[in-house]
Amino acid sequence: MAEVEMKPPADKKEEKKDDKNTEKKEEKEEAPKAPPTPVQEIKSNVVLIERAVATLEPRFAHRVLRTLTALRKRIDVAVLRNAIEEVFVKDTPTKQSLLSWLPDAPAPTEAMEVDAAPPASNADAAPAASKADAAPAASKADAAPAASKAAAAPEPVPDVDIYFRLLIMHHFMASSSTYGKALELGHQTIEKMQALNRRSMDPIAAKVWYALERAYELGGELSDARPLFLAAQRTAALRRDDETQASLINRLLRSYLHYSLYDQADKLVSKTTFPASAGNPQFARYHYYLGRIKAVQLNYSAAHANLQQAIRRAPAAKLAPGFYQAVHKLFVVVELLMGDIPDRGLFRHPVLEKALTAYFDIVKAVRTGSLSQFQTTLAKHAAQFEADRTFTLIVRLRQNVIKTGIRRLSLSYSRISLRDICVKLHLDSEEDAEYIVGKAIRDGVIDGRIVHERGWMECGGQKSGYGPEVADVFSRRIGYCLELHNQSVKAMRFPLNAHRKELAAAEGAREREKELAKEIQEGDLDEEDMGGEF
Amino acid sequence: MSLKSQYADLKASFTAQSPDLPKCGRLLTQLKLGLIQAGLLLPQDDDLNHDDLVVAREILEIGAFWSIRTRDVPSFDRYFSQLQTFYADYATLPPSQYEHAIRGLHLIRLLTQNRIADFHTALESLPAAAMDSTFIAHPVNLERWLMEGSYAKVWSARAEAPAAEYGYFVDSLMGTIRNEIASCEEAAYESLPLKDAATLLFFTSQSELLVFAQERGWEVNLTSGTITFEKKGEETVDIPKEKLIAASLLYARELEQIV
Repeated sequence: MAEVEMKPPADKKEEKKDDKNTEKKEEKEEAPKAPPTPVQEIKSNVVLIERAVATLEPRFAHRVLRTLTALRKRIDVAVLRNAIEEVFVKDTPTKQSLLSWLPDAPAPTEAMEVDAAPPASNADAAPAASKADAAPAASKADAAPAASKAAAAPEPVPDVDIYFRLLIMHHFMASSSTYGKALELGHQTIEKMQALNRRSMDPIAAKVWYALERAYELGGELSDARPLFLAAQRTAALRRDDETQASLINRLLRSYLHYSLYDQADKLVSKTTFPASAGNPQFARYHYYLGRIKAVQLNYSAAHANLQQAIRRAPAAKLAPGFYQAVHKLFVVVELLMGDIPDRGLFRHPVLEKALTAYFDIVKAVRTGSLSQFQTTLAKHAAQFEADRTFTLIVRLRQNVIKTGIRRLSLSYSRISLRDICVKLHLDSEEDAEYIVGKAIRDGVIDGRIVHERGWMECGGQKSGYGPEVADVFSRRIGYCLELHNQSVKAMRFPLNAHRKELAAAEGAREREKELAKEIQEGDLDEEDMGGEF
Repeated sequence: MSLKSQYADLKASFTAQSPDLPKCGRLLTQLKLGLIQAGLLLPQDDDLNHDDLVVAREILEIGAFWSIRTRDVPSFDRYFSQLQTFYADYATLPPSQYEHAIRGLHLIRLLTQNRIADFHTALESLPAAAMDSTFIAHPVNLERWLMEGSYAKVWSARAEAPAAEYGYFVDSLMGTIRNEIASCEEAAYESLPLKDAATLLFFTSQSELLVFAQERGWEVNLTSGTITFEKKGEETVDIPKEKLIAASLLYARELEQIV
């Protein structure tokens, strides 16, 4: 009986998946070895989490969380329900509360077991029919050891429970109708996390905070979450919970910057220390937010350094194009504000090319020093800059455009009348031109002087390129290289207890040496042996 | 309700043709005490009556204007930071008609102190719609002109101040500008006729210019009517020996660690 019933739902399931991501399916078929189903993946992740807890090695938990992004897109209610059923074998309150969050599964329970069995779920529709009788056997065989294991295995560690809650939250956030539920679940999870207070849970907890913030943001009530995050940040700092702290500082910064509260964000940064052991993605975000704050405060060189760090630490461009583009947009503007012109190659990067077109136009305008071109470009792309929240920064570029223009003029003319400067740079009056040139001379943009009586500007010769400032630049670069080297040495990882093996080996070597010495002393060692030994 | 009557009194005496500023000051002190007792000066509860909050906000706004009229800038700063709570955290209140004027005043104040970073931070936190307000646009334009060096525009914008209170700051702004221009002139000119210098620095009489020139230590030649700026000659740049030695030693040490 069971065999007959099992087949149709299984097929249905396959069809549904096919509709959803046909491309993925095709990829799957091409691949020689099919990737594991979501349920399998979750299960192996659970094993990893348990190992992480058992060995006190957060590395395993990190590995689990790395799969989160990919997994997030593939889970649905049925998958979650299956995984929970499989992992929590006994009927415990934890399992009940987890299941209570999921709406009733669309498929009957038998179908789930089929889905859980690898051959049935991976196979195409046609083979599935032929394997119809094999599948239940397999699933039964699967179920049997699982059941026996259940009798022996105790309740999974609480970390697993939290991990499932995280998955469910991500699932809720996928559709706009369930944000409220994600929020509710998030709050409950956090209460639970804080009650449990387990250090092994830190990496997962950091992700839960992220999910909660995202739920708030999607619901459009980010500012309401701030007191909660601030309190949690304090707790995390006291418990030296670096991952959660890093995550929460970023959450808070994001929330401040979302409402343009740069003052508060700056104060938060100055009052907290970002944990040095935080992961690269958190560091990338932190540097990006710092870069934005610094850019608004006109501290362009610091902003530049921070954004560069953010770019270096960010995941590969193809993996996280959104972040990559956002950082580069700001980076281009900051570089312009510093008086540099960004690399042309940047705008040909496949990920950036399209996103940065508006910025490319601005760069061109600044490079030519044409105020009118700058103004028209600004007007043309104003909407995009507003959306990127770089508009006010770009407006500040106006003075850079003028400076570039004056510098170009000073390079090409040895003497030019103020009237001509005024015409060439589209300034409003000669009077303005005189002040502007005067300021440029004072700021060291150009080398020259104004002859007021005749109304012209005389440009001095080029400065020679050698001086102490060259040494400064050089030493800054060397310093950077050394820093890079030291950082990479520090970043090397060595397996725990590996040195024990070496010690043992050394011990053995010493032992052997002693023996050798003894043998030599006893004199029963001939020349050949010596040659072989050394 | 003595608070209500005092508030009405303050409003009446402040909006009068020739406001009695000392009296307003006294009233403000009493009102602030009253606000503290009502928990409205620094509102923290969510369930406060909106009308009360609006009144509290208006009292503080009058206080801010009053501070400027009595030329008490630190007091203005205090009023402004108290008002920020109302502007930022109580967005549900009906918008105040004075909000932009007060924010604009705050921006100008930052400009006169040359706190450009704070100026931009404050500007960034304003919604885009605020930029259209003349109160805000005025300081924004001033800043732009100052940064590019169009001092003449700043000078002519003096008369276009959108509110009487701006005049106070504009005067001190002029002092800042004159010093800016003077430092530019020192770098950009070798000599300058007195008459032109006066126009460039926006002085109307020569005696003012002479006092200013003396302050900055300029050489004034009255017979030929010119100012000569002392050229800071090409000072010979020393090789920073100690710095170079320290850097070389550092490299040697680091290299040793690597090898």
